[in-house]
Amino acid sequence: MLRKLMKHEFRATGRVMGPLFGLLLIAAIAARFSVGVLLESSARFLNLLGGLFTTAFVIAIVGVCVMSLVLMINRFRTNLLGDEGYIMFTLPASVHQQIWSKLIVSAVWFIATGLAVVAAGFILVAQQGFWLEIRRGFAEIFRHLTAYYAFNGTAFLFELLALIFVGCCVLCLEFYAAMAIGHSFANHKVLYSVLSFLGLQFVMQLLSGGILVGTNYDILVVALPSDGVLAMHSVMLTMIVSTAVFGAVYYVITTMLLKKRLNLE
Amino acid sequence: MQWQFSNDAPIYAQLIRGIQIRIVAGIFPTGERLPSVRDLAAEAGVNPNTMQRALSELEREGLLYSARTTGRYVTDDVKLVNSLKRRLAEGRIGAFLQDMRELGFESEELLDILRQELEKEE
Amino acid sequence: MAILECKDLSKRFGSVDALTDVSFAVEPGRIVGLLGPNGSGKTTLIKLVNGLLTPTSGQVLIDGEAPGKRSHSLVSYLPDRNCLPQWMTAGQLLDFYRDFYPDFREDAAREMLSRLEIPEKRRMKQLSKGTREKVQLILVMSRAARLYLLDEPIGGVDPATRDYILQTIIGNYNPEASVILSTHLIADVEKVLDDVLFIHQGHIMLRTSVDQIREEKGMSVDQLFREVFKC
Repeated sequence: MLRKLMKHEFRATGRVMGPLFGLLLIAAIAARFSVGVLLESSARFLNLLGGLFTTAFVIAIVGVCVMSLVLMINRFRTNLLGDEGYIMFTLPASVHQQIWSKLIVSAVWFIATGLAVVAAGFILVAQQGFWLEIRRGFAEIFRHLTAYYAFNGTAFLFELLALIFVGCCVLCLEFYAAMAIGHSFANHKVLYSVLSFLGLQFVMQLLSGGILVGTNYDILVVALPSDGVLAMHSVMLTMIVSTAVFGAVYYVITTMLLKKRLNLE
Repeated sequence: MQWQFSNDAPIYAQLIRGIQIRIVAGIFPTGERLPSVRDLAAEAGVNPNTMQRALSELEREGLLYSARTTGRYVTDDVKLVNSLKRRLAEGRIGAFLQDMRELGFESEELLDILRQELEKEE
Repeated sequence: MAILECKDLSKRFGSVDALTDVSFAVEPGRIVGLLGPNGSGKTTLIKLVNGLLTPTSGQVLIDGEAPGKRSHSLVSYLPDRNCLPQWMTAGQLLDFYRDFYPDFREDAAREMLSRLEIPEKRRMKQLSKGTREKVQLILVMSRAARLYLLDEPIGGVDPATRDYILQTIIGNYNPEASVILSTHLIADVEKVLDDVLFIHQGHIMLRTSVDQIREEKGMSVDQLFREVFKC
């Protein structure tokens, strides 16, 4: 059932994200052309056009990022909490499956958006031998990191990616929880959703800050391995886990509300 | 023949009457198989359970009978059908006569006008 | 066993009682009319059975179980509004229903679509409101469900389509399955119903059969309804 929900969720979102990625690709190529040819030209008009293309490229990048976020919020709101919810919540699927399908698909689109933006950047600056340079550059950085700070650059990169991924999912869940709270009210659902989001955000900051401040620094020092490598990894892991814990709380809030207090108009 | 229903009598009773008329009129010929309950219900635009109830009632009267596997048939007892025809006719004539009396027709006068109207029809 | 059973079902919205102590059962093979004026609680009741609302107190049992994953696979539900995603075509909707409901009869749905001359490749937002309603009804009636819950199926359609819908309900009749339909257009559906539930201000006022009303009161359900709910 989860697989089917995801299939149709991809179908519903793909029809928006697909063309957006296409647009980004075109904008990147146009911008590349501008940088390489138009802006170099002596004709005023071509300069202007080149400027426009480059601006369009920047707008496209921002647009794709914003849209993937807006789409993620909007799918949850219209497909589950709007009229379409009448169909979705009467499917032989559990609330958990509904949320997981939305969550996974959103996370995939976040990653895809990240990759698309990186790819667009490459198109803009790619030259002969550029790839080689990039690889060499990264290898260099990793080598330095390993040499100076004695931690594994590759592992750090994976940890960073994992943190970004978990962060994306938790951001989704935070929006879901906020909307689930907001829509359990009889009126002013959108207003209450926004307030709930601000509230959740506030509580999360408070708790993270509280933990940081409240923790005895000595204990932290003792608890953390003195070895630099391990310390770095521990910090990363702690961040990933604590983010995931917030995500779990949001998940529980969302499912509880949708199960017990579902209140479609 | 269109199915029509009045508001004052149970639907199953009106269905019984409707099927009786169709048998007498030969729309459902004697000895022939009747359409299925679902088809009859769809044609009359009524609930299949109500149609089923009407058919069971007609079976009890002996006007219909069920063969175990092949379905439901109209009786081949022509005498029974004829007496039903007579009964239905009597009922309608009774109502007609009552209407005519209301209009002040005497028997002789009534026979005259009936004869004239029948001739006109021919 | 009853396909649907409501036990002392109540629903409050804030301080408003939408339903109060509603109890009834529906046996397999029955076509039941849920009749009441606007705002009497018909939609609330149907939404409770579908698990779109949670009861304040009391119980809803579908084939012995509370609303949930299993009940959703047994119930085919027509909401009181059009909920089909506007960007989808009828063809995509067929695909959607086939994926989620093993009892979906795709060929039956295709036949009804072509019978009502609804194009499969047109998006919902390009169709008229009436046509969208027909698509939704076709999807709902194309399932071989145990319980059909139809909320105002004939409210917004023209008389010819109304007849087609009622014909479909009759033609679809199955002794294992029950149909509950809510409406205030009683004269049109009366002949199709076995039983009627009169609902008024969240209370079940009357529960009887169509022919019993006609037999005992000498009037149609429509006439009785007008008398009971006279303003």
